[in-house]
Amino acid sequence: MKRWAGVAIGAGILAVGAVPWPAFGQVSPPAAPPMGTYAGPAPATPAGDVHRGYNLYAVHCASCHGLAAEGTKDGIPLVGIGAGTLDFVLRTGRMPLTDPQQPMYRRPSNWTPQQIADVVAYVASLGPGGPEVPTVDPARGDLAHGRGVFAANCAACHGAAGQGAAVGEGAEAPALYQASELEIAEAVRVGPDPMPRFDAGIIRQYDLDSLVKYVVWLRHPPDPGGFNIGHVGPVAEGFVAWVVGMGALTLVIRAIGTKD
Amino acid sequence: MIRRLVLWLDDRLGAASFARKALRKAFPDHWAFMLGEVALYCYIVLVLTGVFLTFFFTPSGQDVVYTGPYAPLRGARMSAAYASMLVLSFEVRAGLVMRQIHHWAANVFVAAIAAHAMRIFFTGAFRRPREINWIIGTCLLLLAMAAGFTGYSLPDDLLSGTGIRIAYSVLLSVPVIGTWAAYLFFGGEFPGPGTIQRFLSLHIMILQALIVGALSLHLIIVWHQKHTQFRAPGRTEDTVTGSPLFPNYTLKSIGLMFAVFAVLAFLGGMVQINPIWLYGPYDPTTVSAPAQPDWYVGWLEGLLRLFPNWQINLWVVQIPEPFFPGVLIPALLFLIYALWPFIEQAATGDRSVHHFLDRARDAPARSGFGVAGVAFMALLTLAGSNDILAHVFGVPVEWITEILRGAVIVVPVVFGWATYALCRELKKQQEEPKPLWHALRRGATGGYAEDERR
Amino acid sequence: MSPAERRVAAALTVSILGSAGLGVVYALGGQAQLEGVLLSIALGGLAAGLAAWALGLLPPEQVTDRREPQSSRPEDRIAITSELERGKEDLTSRRTLARLLLGALATFGAVMFFPIRSLGPAPGRSMFHTKWTAGAYVVDSLGRRVRAGEMSTQSVITVFPEGDLGSAVSQALLIRVDPTLLRLPPSRMDWAPYGYVAYSKFCTHAGCPVGLYRAAAHQLLCPCHQSTFDVLDGARPIFGPTTRALPQLPLRVDSDGYLRAAGDFSAPVGPGFWELPPS
Repeated sequence: MKRWAGVAIGAGILAVGAVPWPAFGQVSPPAAPPMGTYAGPAPATPAGDVHRGYNLYAVHCASCHGLAAEGTKDGIPLVGIGAGTLDFVLRTGRMPLTDPQQPMYRRPSNWTPQQIADVVAYVASLGPGGPEVPTVDPARGDLAHGRGVFAANCAACHGAAGQGAAVGEGAEAPALYQASELEIAEAVRVGPDPMPRFDAGIIRQYDLDSLVKYVVWLRHPPDPGGFNIGHVGPVAEGFVAWVVGMGALTLVIRAIGTKD
Repeated sequence: MIRRLVLWLDDRLGAASFARKALRKAFPDHWAFMLGEVALYCYIVLVLTGVFLTFFFTPSGQDVVYTGPYAPLRGARMSAAYASMLVLSFEVRAGLVMRQIHHWAANVFVAAIAAHAMRIFFTGAFRRPREINWIIGTCLLLLAMAAGFTGYSLPDDLLSGTGIRIAYSVLLSVPVIGTWAAYLFFGGEFPGPGTIQRFLSLHIMILQALIVGALSLHLIIVWHQKHTQFRAPGRTEDTVTGSPLFPNYTLKSIGLMFAVFAVLAFLGGMVQINPIWLYGPYDPTTVSAPAQPDWYVGWLEGLLRLFPNWQINLWVVQIPEPFFPGVLIPALLFLIYALWPFIEQAATGDRSVHHFLDRARDAPARSGFGVAGVAFMALLTLAGSNDILAHVFGVPVEWITEILRGAVIVVPVVFGWATYALCRELKKQQEEPKPLWHALRRGATGGYAEDERR
Repeated sequence: MSPAERRVAAALTVSILGSAGLGVVYALGGQAQLEGVLLSIALGGLAAGLAAWALGLLPPEQVTDRREPQSSRPEDRIAITSELERGKEDLTSRRTLARLLLGALATFGAVMFFPIRSLGPAPGRSMFHTKWTAGAYVVDSLGRRVRAGEMSTQSVITVFPEGDLGSAVSQALLIRVDPTLLRLPPSRMDWAPYGYVAYSKFCTHAGCPVGLYRAAAHQLLCPCHQSTFDVLDGARPIFGPTTRALPQLPLRVDSDGYLRAAGDFSAPVGPGFWELPPS
């Protein structure tokens, strides 16, 4: 009887391997618009009101970045930071930061496009410069070309499957599954800390369109081999080999063999 | 019908008398003795699936353009080797499952060897007269790791190619002969023109011949010397008790074989391993994070990551950094490991024949060193994935590295010493059992006296 | 059927169904997950059936063998020892012939190793230079020449000398920084026009491409073993197992605004090797 208990447990361990494990580090992506329906330039940005923008800025940003965006010990100067930068950090909830010592990371954002436009207008009124909100049209890009651009520029930090990785000194290159097409393009053009910036001279419009197409595709890679164990790679595979493989086989030999 | 077959064969081979004894041979069937068999059956899976793979793999580094069904790589330049693996994965029926079973089998193969080796170590099964088999076993472990490394490098993808690059640098770091060794082994500057072809030769031919030879010797010696066994009432050093080879042990063993096949088949179909299409073809100017080798090379990777940036010179020449963590320390580790039976004989003075196995507590010092060794290798393997640990725990990777640098020395010592103390205590308990409880008796004059009861 | 026999029968029947299913799936075109699961059912059924047979149907039997002493009989040991010694005597008593035999075997053995030399070229001086020469155009990974003014600060691209695209040895990182932040040694002050610096991408530890750049901190990180380099300070290593900085490529901007190299790297690139001169 005990023998069969062992075999049953062994089968159970295999069944555990069949349960869809939450992909390691992968969060469920937002409902993405189907490929190709996003056509044309960025949605028309509402015209920003400098006065409303100042009010929003004073409440949410000034304590760290200074009333005139001149910067304080807690926040960098924002003059000339660019509409693209502001749009990106506000849209992805990276800003405002509750703790200025913390690195930026994606959080839910309550900012409406109008509010973002207002703050952009206010900061722009203090001085020009910085990356604009980019236009991106993935339908005009090529998936294979995008993979090449991704492999050359992005995979080193974000991982071959866009699953994210540590990049040293506590900094993280986040997983890319939650980013919208516009946010991906903005991050490329803006280079939010710790990411470097890739201007139009390095990654041209066609490169960017293709890159965004590929990153969006990475949200649901085909994974024909089965459960992807988070795309972590050989470390997770070794873990599975020991826990599932040797674990199940140890139970099998305990069932078949004697114990004295 | 069987009678006619037996007579026909025996008339030509005279094998009946041997077979008669062999079929009744005693095989101790403690479950821990089957770990080696698990490894053996993994190897059979590797050979069977491997043969299938050789029909589809193109061992060439020549540039080709991919025109297959995997859209993100269509039009990309890659080596013929990588392209052939894409074809196998996406266009050959059952190709992907065969590839994945092969790779899972390799990972479980080395895990089973490691588990088997640990069982041999902690039960003292390497003692006289089995020292030779221990050394053969060490060779098998090294051959298995080498076969695995050459094998997963064959698809020439970005991840395994990075591993080959590191191997080239480690070879380069050998003093005096390193540059020549690297240029001759790889055929020039990295990546050499024939690297994949040479790895194939090693993987399917040279290493397999060595493994088959060593494995056969290993099994023949076990058969000849007869298996060890645990102490039990009715057993002596001069006898071995177990199931007869036929039919009991054969049936159980074949059942185990199918079980191993079944587990590997399940993994091969249900859990994705080495998705080379995501990594992309090897390009020596790009890399993707995280970058780790397969688990059994992880300890080497950990050594390379942890070793401090010491500038170590031989007269005026600096010995390249990868030499110490990549060549010297592993060589020392495996030397100690291979010679352990002789080290233990010298330390204990015990050179007598042993057919009975020890339990861990019966040899506290050996168990202590064993646990320390396992802890050391486990921590090094952990260190090999320090960037993943940093990502998971949200801690800077530099802290993980610094902590592990210290831990890799301290933790094995602590664990080893704790194991030693625990084994000593357990051993003492058995030899001088302490009383379970004491009874106090009050005397007539008002004093107390103790009774010891068990 | 007894319960034990029924168990065996059930297991083997499951196996048959699994194999049949596997055949159907394969005939219909195959699918990796189904192939794996059905194969494991087929094999697992056989495994369970055979194990149940061995454990449940066969009479439990234990046999005991005597262990013969491992050593042979003394007369055999003496005989073989004296045979071998006689052979050795025979050899050593004919000194000249023995020496010639040894010489023949040793010489042949040595010469048999010579074809190893055919495996690859001599290293020569190839480890000491790359294809970067004075005047070489700096091109990106698609072969396009890089103009000064195309990159802003905080950006990085992988570059090659024109004509050697994709070279493992010549690969370099082109980074633009605020020139006031640079702390290069005086001899290299003119190597970084407009804040453009170029370093070898070939890690000096074990040769991986140094692919990670923390732009705001101006630090390069190699993902293989976490060697970290300070871009503002000549790519000096500040963490990790490497001891040597990434060699720097001298740059200049020509009259058309293109970035060009002003010579080869400041030191041999890539991981250390025995012939590398001490820095």
